[in-house]
Amino acid sequence: MSARLAVLLIGVVVTVPALGQTYDILLKGGHVIDPANEIDAVMDVAISGDKIARVAASIPGDQAKRTINAAGYIVTPGLIDLHAHVFGYGGSLWPDDTQLTTGATTVVDCGGSGWRTFDTFKETVIDRTRTRVFSFINIVGKGMVGSAAENDVDDMSPEKTAAKMAEYPDLIVGIKTAHFAHKGYTALERAVEAGRLSDNPVIIDMRITTEYDRTTQRIFEIMRPGDLRTHSYSDHQVEILNRSTRKVQPFTREARQRGILFDVGHGNGSFVFPVAADAMKDDFPPDTISTDLHNGSIFTTKSDMPNVISKFLHFGMTLPDAIEKSTVRPAKVIRKFPELGTLGEGRVADIAVFKLRKGVFGFTDAPQRRLMATKKLEAVLTIRAGRLVFDQDGLAFPEWQTAGDYEVIPIP
Amino acid sequence: MTIRRAVVSNRKTGFAMHLLTICLSLFLAAVTAAPLAAQEAEAAEATEAAATADTVIYDLLLKNGHVIDIQNGRNGRMDIAITGRTIHEIGENLPASRAKNVVDLTEYYVTPGLIDIHTHLDQKGAWLNLNPDHNTLRYGVTTAVDAGSSGHQGFEKFKKETIDRARVRLLAFLNIVGAGMYGDGVENDPAQMNVDAAVAMVKKYPEDIVGIKTAHYQPADWEAVDRAVKAAELSNSVLMVDFHPKEGRGYEDLILKHMKPGNIHTHFYGRLTPQLDANKKVQDYMWKARERGILFDVGHGSGSFWFRIAVPAIKQGFLPDTISTDIHKNSIMLPRAHLNNVMSKFLNIGLSLEQVIERTTVNPAKAIRRTDLGRLDKGGVADIAVLKVEQGKFAFLDSGHGKLIGDKNIRCVMTLRRGRVIWDAEGLSMPDWSTAGPYSNFR
Repeated sequence: MSARLAVLLIGVVVTVPALGQTYDILLKGGHVIDPANEIDAVMDVAISGDKIARVAASIPGDQAKRTINAAGYIVTPGLIDLHAHVFGYGGSLWPDDTQLTTGATTVVDCGGSGWRTFDTFKETVIDRTRTRVFSFINIVGKGMVGSAAENDVDDMSPEKTAAKMAEYPDLIVGIKTAHFAHKGYTALERAVEAGRLSDNPVIIDMRITTEYDRTTQRIFEIMRPGDLRTHSYSDHQVEILNRSTRKVQPFTREARQRGILFDVGHGNGSFVFPVAADAMKDDFPPDTISTDLHNGSIFTTKSDMPNVISKFLHFGMTLPDAIEKSTVRPAKVIRKFPELGTLGEGRVADIAVFKLRKGVFGFTDAPQRRLMATKKLEAVLTIRAGRLVFDQDGLAFPEWQTAGDYEVIPIP
Repeated sequence: MTIRRAVVSNRKTGFAMHLLTICLSLFLAAVTAAPLAAQEAEAAEATEAAATADTVIYDLLLKNGHVIDIQNGRNGRMDIAITGRTIHEIGENLPASRAKNVVDLTEYYVTPGLIDIHTHLDQKGAWLNLNPDHNTLRYGVTTAVDAGSSGHQGFEKFKKETIDRARVRLLAFLNIVGAGMYGDGVENDPAQMNVDAAVAMVKKYPEDIVGIKTAHYQPADWEAVDRAVKAAELSNSVLMVDFHPKEGRGYEDLILKHMKPGNIHTHFYGRLTPQLDANKKVQDYMWKARERGILFDVGHGSGSFWFRIAVPAIKQGFLPDTISTDIHKNSIMLPRAHLNNVMSKFLNIGLSLEQVIERTTVNPAKAIRRTDLGRLDKGGVADIAVLKVEQGKFAFLDSGHGKLIGDKNIRCVMTLRRGRVIWDAEGLSMPDWSTAGPYSNFR
């Protein structure tokens, strides 16, 4: 590992800015999809420092220190993954090499930490990642550390949870309840109470099998507008569909009308092609697209953000719709819009660049079935707070033969 | 565009075919008005034949892939049958009717599970370490060797918390520094380099520890190298060296005098290694060292692979003995040096696919003295990689962020570890969802 030397040398070779170079990076000629600003066209995006400086049809290359030719690529706000696992849970992943490399610049850890463990989460992960990390704090004080803890109703304190949230209002954006394997609704009621005390949304993962004596209808009744049901296209979580008619249940539509939100939370066991296909056919797309990415699903379903988006494209969602459900919509859910999820001028320069590949591609779902599709979205470049963090196609760098006796070519 | 259905058959369809054959033969027998006894005998014979052909032996049959198995001299279209954790059979035209699941690999290359001998996967250890599974198995790597993240003080924790839990076969070079790769404070301190303690640890875990690592040592003396050489000798194991030349501690002396045959110098295409002269000619001592048995490993990482060094060296015939990543938290982002990326670079520079596979299977297996690995044997463990060589326009960054544009890219589409499909990027081994019925409550 000669990384230390490499790091020292970055900055030795500095491109001398000529007069009039007002931007640090210019992404030129990409197809910009920015639903928050209703842009769906070829545009240039200029970045100064960590902010978006300008989005316009033609920004001259000589106004920028570094120009990245994005022609043929799709440029979007950095994606927001509302349901990720980066702490606490045994299958947690490091977000930089799994999310920044797949176009997500913001992730929300979905219940890994509770009020007892949030400080450790902050010190060991949130403060050290290049990915922007928020938390849906678990209503369980110990967090998502196995069934003994997660079923312990004595450790579900709305007051203590709300107090921790008040301590970190910029980092904790909601409450998670998950995996409650006792009868009834206690976990949900406590989570909603914490949501009421802290004025934040609750995200719910709760099975409805008869053994727990729970119904989807009652769960919807306890939930408030703005609360989210994750794992929506599973077949053991939310009864979106009537199993015999394969049509959307009337009470599910009513819940949506009331303002209950439906999140994907794909994961290892919670996305089944027939459920998603039937729901999409009956006009029940998700409100937010998210991954539930963890050490299991990264192998079985490969469900990172572009993978989940590609699956919805196959079932009839348009790309701008999918980008909206992966940027501005989740930003609104966690109440970080318009700071995040937009390419608005003056906003933070979190940007994702994708290739929409045409061909024949296989995708897999929770029961390990295969879907053949003709489009696949693939992340190629990511900018986080104005800094390039991932560049699969080397778009930001010169060819080695033309770089002379090059030192480390600085990362823009 | 037509969508190609998954080419997966199962034994039910095979069985149905045989039933049909039996019925047909019965019908034909009847219409030819053969004697009853003959009919019965024929039917019994047909049933027996069907039963033999339908005896399911293979859990999985990898059909029609282009197999590259350097150790056994295989290079061509072949089938591989897997039963349980092992390879049951390798050969042409193995009967699909004997398999529970058949995967058509006509478009792909099939190789032994790849071996990456320079990784940093002590994920509960120092900061730069990565998750051991998802940065290996997804790239066809079934054996990874952690290169000195832990020393004798931390190894048992590493083993308990990570090695024993990983799905990839995780081996280790033990750092001669007792504390392991925890920064200059310990890594520059000869008092940390206790030869006896290191030797004892290697001997205690011969299944896990393949050798000794020395790295990052800055004082201009030979303490670290010489102690590591001694520890490797005393424990009869392999040495991997990361070396920063200093005034009075030259590279030529390292590879011609201090290191022993079979020792590995990693990062040899790096800028710190004087492998080329001012005219970019490979130095004579490089050839001499190779002749005396010093092995040269890539160890790409954030700082140790430069096209402007590797391209001229390879043109002069100085290829790496082993291709490895030095994968860690920085190198996996930019320049994104996972093993498929590093392999693709060599393929585009001009190595043949066979040369690349040799340097990621047989050669590393020999280098770490695990010649049971990196090969496909009947009865051997089924660690297998399925690779696609994509054609198109691809770009690759080196450690200085210089870009090579190439027309080939190696992508792992399937990985088997101990006979189990652990990575199947496009669901090649899975049935098509639209024909799988309403699979509610799949669990």
